[in-house]
Amino acid sequence: MEKQTKFKILLVDDEEIFREATARQLRVRGFTVLTADSGETALDLVRTDPPEVVLLDQEMPGMHGSDTFIAIKEIDPLIEVIMLTGNTSVENALELMKLGTFDYLMKPVNIDELLYKVEDAHARKQLNERKQQRDSNSRPDKDSLP
Amino acid sequence: MRVWDARLLQDNLPAGKQRTEHIYDYAGSEENRKQINKHFDRLQTRLILGLILGFLLPNALLSAYFHFQFTHTLKNSAILSLEAVADNQKNALDLYLRERIANIYNLFRSPDFTLHPPQEVMEGYLRTLRHYHDGFVDVGFLDPQGVQTGYAGPTPELLGSDYSDEPWFQRLMQGNKNHVISDSHPGVRDTEYFTVAVRQIFFDKVYVLRATLDPDKLYMLLRSTVQGSNVESALINAQGQYQVVDPKISFISKSSAFIPPPESPDQSVGIHELDIDDIPTLVAYAWLTETPWALLVSQPLSVAQAGMYRARLILTISLLCISLVISGVIFYTIRRLINDARRMTTKGQQLQEMLAHASKLASIGELAAGVAHEINNPLAIIMATSGVIRDMLNPEFELDHSPEAINKELAVIDSAATRAKGITKKLQEMGKTRMPQAEPCDINVQVETVLNRLKKVELRGKSIDIQLHLAPNLPPILAEPEPLRQVFNNILLNAADAIDDKGTITISTGVRENAVAITISDTGRGIAPENLERIFHPFFTTKGGHHGTGLGLSIAASIVKYLGGVIKVNSTVGKGSAFTVLLPNNYYCPLT
Repeated sequence: MEKQTKFKILLVDDEEIFREATARQLRVRGFTVLTADSGETALDLVRTDPPEVVLLDQEMPGMHGSDTFIAIKEIDPLIEVIMLTGNTSVENALELMKLGTFDYLMKPVNIDELLYKVEDAHARKQLNERKQQRDSNSRPDKDSLP
Repeated sequence: MRVWDARLLQDNLPAGKQRTEHIYDYAGSEENRKQINKHFDRLQTRLILGLILGFLLPNALLSAYFHFQFTHTLKNSAILSLEAVADNQKNALDLYLRERIANIYNLFRSPDFTLHPPQEVMEGYLRTLRHYHDGFVDVGFLDPQGVQTGYAGPTPELLGSDYSDEPWFQRLMQGNKNHVISDSHPGVRDTEYFTVAVRQIFFDKVYVLRATLDPDKLYMLLRSTVQGSNVESALINAQGQYQVVDPKISFISKSSAFIPPPESPDQSVGIHELDIDDIPTLVAYAWLTETPWALLVSQPLSVAQAGMYRARLILTISLLCISLVISGVIFYTIRRLINDARRMTTKGQQLQEMLAHASKLASIGELAAGVAHEINNPLAIIMATSGVIRDMLNPEFELDHSPEAINKELAVIDSAATRAKGITKKLQEMGKTRMPQAEPCDINVQVETVLNRLKKVELRGKSIDIQLHLAPNLPPILAEPEPLRQVFNNILLNAADAIDDKGTITISTGVRENAVAITISDTGRGIAPENLERIFHPFFTTKGGHHGTGLGLSIAASIVKYLGGVIKVNSTVGKGSAFTVLLPNNYYCPLT
């Protein structure tokens, strides 16, 4: 069966086994998956190889998930971010949604639910990109003004 | 260098009914309650005795002082009263005697006076004298030789009697007074009389008129002037012989047991205290002016001071009653106060135990939250890996689904499950609901027990020098021995892990501010300042991989917090760390 290449996902989590297992599941379903074990590495990848959607662990040693999210949005506001949280950090995840994360997922993650959210996030990103494109097209060129 | 204090952890203290009952079963609280009761019993006895003594002693001293003053005043009052009686009687007697002398002297001035009075004139003299006073018995006229040349009275044979040898006659002739009163004497009639004689000079010759007085009349006079109960009066001469006295006394003795000091110009009245027939008696005396007689007025001391004795009795009974009432009030009040304090202390103790228990529960809750978070990680791995296996088995994905490949993924699941099991095992240690068996623990013994155990296993083969500085006579700590040992065990293990190749662990114990202090210091890597705040958080570890669960210090902190203590940490990176456990002296030792 020929795999259809879908969009690019960045998976950020300090837990290596979880990160790789989840990445493998996404890859077999046609996604291009980049992985990062820390917030700092994730930001490097966002700059060099920007993904469509980021799956971001909230509790990480070093740079915290929420700080990483803010930094990603500063680099590219159109990238959609889905937070991965434990039970104890749900409130924090909800707060981050007010700041612009697409959604959150509680660990352990069901792959179907993950796919559903990722697809939705990607759809919104495309919508936002088209909207931005339309806005930029309808904006008058400063130089053409009399 | 930073300090972490277990008390900084926030407490949420919902204590259910069941938990309260559980605390009532707490073995240590019963021991403490016994100590509290003993302490308050001792305090109650001391307070009651102290207050009663503190009140009664000054009260007794003050009472003694007032009693002394009161007795002194009343005694003086009795003395002054008796002296006044003696003085009054003396004045009455002097007046009486002066009147009798004047009666006789007036005979010399009578119109029918003659140097050779005939019998009818003498009879007239006697009538005149008796007119003035019926105590006159007879009257006689003595010529210059002392021979009675005229007489009227019941003994006519006295006419012609020679009185020149009578002591009173000689005293009259030789003295400078014109009158004399003789001592009581039987004279020629064998009946006791007084003679009152007055002399007058006619033609250079001394003539004397004498009369005898009935002593009973004088005795009646004495009796009539007596004031007060049990007061006896008597007249004695300078030799102490009774002149006028109660016939009962004169029958027993002719002389007085007491002779007053001779009369002096500034001392004619006085008082003495002496035993008469073994009865303490006050005797007042007064020397008469007209004759060298002394008036004695006596009153038994018990009668003279009866008012004082009565007042003293009333005062003593009153003081005893007041002392008894006040002692009773003190006893009742102190007992009530102590019982209130005892109840409050016991309640405080129970509250403290409830707080400690609630604190432990809060710590467990805190731990459970950490566990939930930490267990999610292996669960996420298990779920993700099982998803991978499902993908491998899904023909759509055309993945390698050989048994080897699947076994490899299953091994990942096993590993994650084992990791979760390790966490739940630690959790079980914290969550075991067993009855606490608190007992007074010697910290030094517990430290040595842990150390011996560690030396056999965990510290075996390591180049760690252990130095012990254990202070003797530490106060016992009321706790369960095993959790207490777990505190030292976990800190010691942490210290050993902090030492890379070789180093020293120093354990010292002592007393600091009513708490037992145990310091475990190592010469290991030290703790980075940013980690210092988190070392007691559940699951925080710097040991890496699966070497540490991050629960050791958290458990130690929970136990110490449960015991009401604190753990302080001083650490310098590269030099080592020192953990100081401060356990309050919770085994109730009353103040001495």
